[in-house]
Amino acid sequence: MTKHILAVTMRRSLGRRDFLKGATLLGAAGAFPAIITSRSLAQDKPTVVNSIRSLSNPYHATWNKGGAAFAKSVGTEYVTLVTEGNSEKGIADIKAILAKTGGNCVVNVDPNDSPDARPIVEACKAAGAYVVTQWNKPADLHPWDFDPNYVAHISFSGVPYGKAMAETLIKAMGGKGGIVALGGIESNVPAIERKAGLEEALKANPDVKLLDMQVANWSATEALEKTNAWVTQFGDEIGGIWAANDDMALAAVEALRAEGRAGKVPVTGIDGIQLAVEAIQKGELAGTVAWDPYWQGGMGLSIGYHAKTGTFDPAKEGHEHREFYGTGVIISAENAQSFYDSNIKSEPQLDWNDIWGRVSGQIKY
Amino acid sequence: MATLSTTEATEHAQSPKPVRKFRLASWAPVAILLLLCAIIALINPNFLSFGNLVRISQAAMIPLVLGLGATFIILMGSIDLSVEGVLTLSAVMLSMLVLNGANVNDYGLLAVLFVLAAGAAVGFVNGVVHVRLKVPSFMTTLGVWFIGVGVANALLGGMAIRVNDPWVRGLAIERFLGFPWGVWLAGACLVVALVIQNHTRLGRHIYALGGGEELAALSGISVARVRILAFTLAGIFYAVGGILAAAQLGLGNAQIGNGRLFTTVTAVVVGGTALSGGQGGVLQTLVGVLIVVVLANGMVLMGVPPSIQIGVQGLMIIAAVAMSIDRKLMRIVK
Repeated sequence: MTKHILAVTMRRSLGRRDFLKGATLLGAAGAFPAIITSRSLAQDKPTVVNSIRSLSNPYHATWNKGGAAFAKSVGTEYVTLVTEGNSEKGIADIKAILAKTGGNCVVNVDPNDSPDARPIVEACKAAGAYVVTQWNKPADLHPWDFDPNYVAHISFSGVPYGKAMAETLIKAMGGKGGIVALGGIESNVPAIERKAGLEEALKANPDVKLLDMQVANWSATEALEKTNAWVTQFGDEIGGIWAANDDMALAAVEALRAEGRAGKVPVTGIDGIQLAVEAIQKGELAGTVAWDPYWQGGMGLSIGYHAKTGTFDPAKEGHEHREFYGTGVIISAENAQSFYDSNIKSEPQLDWNDIWGRVSGQIKY
Repeated sequence: MATLSTTEATEHAQSPKPVRKFRLASWAPVAILLLLCAIIALINPNFLSFGNLVRISQAAMIPLVLGLGATFIILMGSIDLSVEGVLTLSAVMLSMLVLNGANVNDYGLLAVLFVLAAGAAVGFVNGVVHVRLKVPSFMTTLGVWFIGVGVANALLGGMAIRVNDPWVRGLAIERFLGFPWGVWLAGACLVVALVIQNHTRLGRHIYALGGGEELAALSGISVARVRILAFTLAGIFYAVGGILAAAQLGLGNAQIGNGRLFTTVTAVVVGGTALSGGQGGVLQTLVGVLIVVVLANGMVLMGVPPSIQIGVQGLMIIAAVAMSIDRKLMRIVK
């Protein structure tokens, strides 16, 4: 029998069909387990739900850890929904969890795309659930139009941090010299904001000259090539390198290393990934900014949870608590070690009741 | 009689090649490369400095190795989109197996051999699926591309791993006669590819397949075997590319391959290897890679604004290909 099956599968046309059918089934099965739940006991407490893009990038993986930590701190059920970059799936999964909990839940969502925020907020309002959005929403969708269910929207402005990194860089250069800058994809909002921050810092420091700015599309490979070309073009004139994210900054460090100049030319990044923090400890990177997704994943839930359980009434909060910029953590040589110890080496310890502690101003559109 | 006509057919399939090599148009890529160098040097004399030569060779080493692998596939008239998948997987596996910042592994050379074997295995799968299941190479390798990146993602969970192995890092940092070891390695790969192309049966059969697969099959060439071997060979070259990429950036992550496919196929085609198969070769790919790399380097040196760089690249691709095509040979353009 086995022999027969083998013989059949080995025959080309039939084997191919069977194989393809099998592969399709396998693929379909793989798409199934969409909702990852972690069960716990308490059920009159609202379920807390994080909806994020995926668990395969360090940013959202850390976000998820923060959410789990908050749920544990109040002893309620925690659910992670993953959109995998699919807006329809993201919205459908949220509707499913609203139905399952009968609206007794708090949703903290990083919408896959800005337009997704509206149907998500409307569904939560209809079900009586409370929702906090982060990063993406249409500019004309405001929490105060959906009182009290749409509790808050959180985002981060690239301008002050692009500027802070430029200032860190200029300080490391001794206040004068030439810098080169690696930008992200030109049409991306974070790339535009961070660049604007760089330009502000340059205006305030006339002794520092921007030798050249190139677009490296957030990519390490491209950043390496651009930096190589700069070394030819400007040689020792390069006093520092500003990069719009850590991947590009680390690639610039590697380009310098091949020239034997790593650690001699200061470089700054943004995002606060682990390798960047380690590079700061080694003295090869001058600074970066951590957005702290652990805080985003936990505090987004905490704000919604406090509103849902009646600690505060969203409708009575000012607009500066409804649509606000969070605070990034600026990491440089001075605090790299302590940041590493308390955020990377061990689980961060945050006060989940300090819900407005990192508000740094109302979002401007 | 039958054997006689087979040998004749093989000879006929091969003999026109040397003559065709001396077509003026096939030198167009070289002319473009020289012209490009002249223009850039005129605007920025630093271009010709030894330091920049080294930097261009560093930038060219990975595209070259990838291009060598892809050349064999494109010569057969197929396409290989799995470049980024294999490269990413190789770089990630290497970073996890050599001395690194995330686990206690330290397998050194053994890890390198393992990664090369893994590259060969993925290439073999490409070939087998393509030939045995008769899935077009475009779709097969597209699938394998995503699978490769997917596995790399699953292995790392989105994190990046720092490579600390001094030998691997040495490929990018340590130098011999002024050039990093990685450049010498890429040069060695070029020689190997040249030997395979010109002096082995596999190399000649690949040309025969590209020139006319039915004819090749009728002459007794095992088309399936040649195709599977070619994809396996390409997989090994991509794995070398992955090792060099991990050495150059000093890390492995699932994004390390991004954008490599475009550069690779562009370099092969700009060099003068026809997408229809049968024409071109490894040395053309070297020229193509140099054109692409010199152009990228030169645009920064000449101060071309970033927003129009990609457009200039596109123009150069069309110009290079348009100048090197022999239109008399083509009846149909698809």
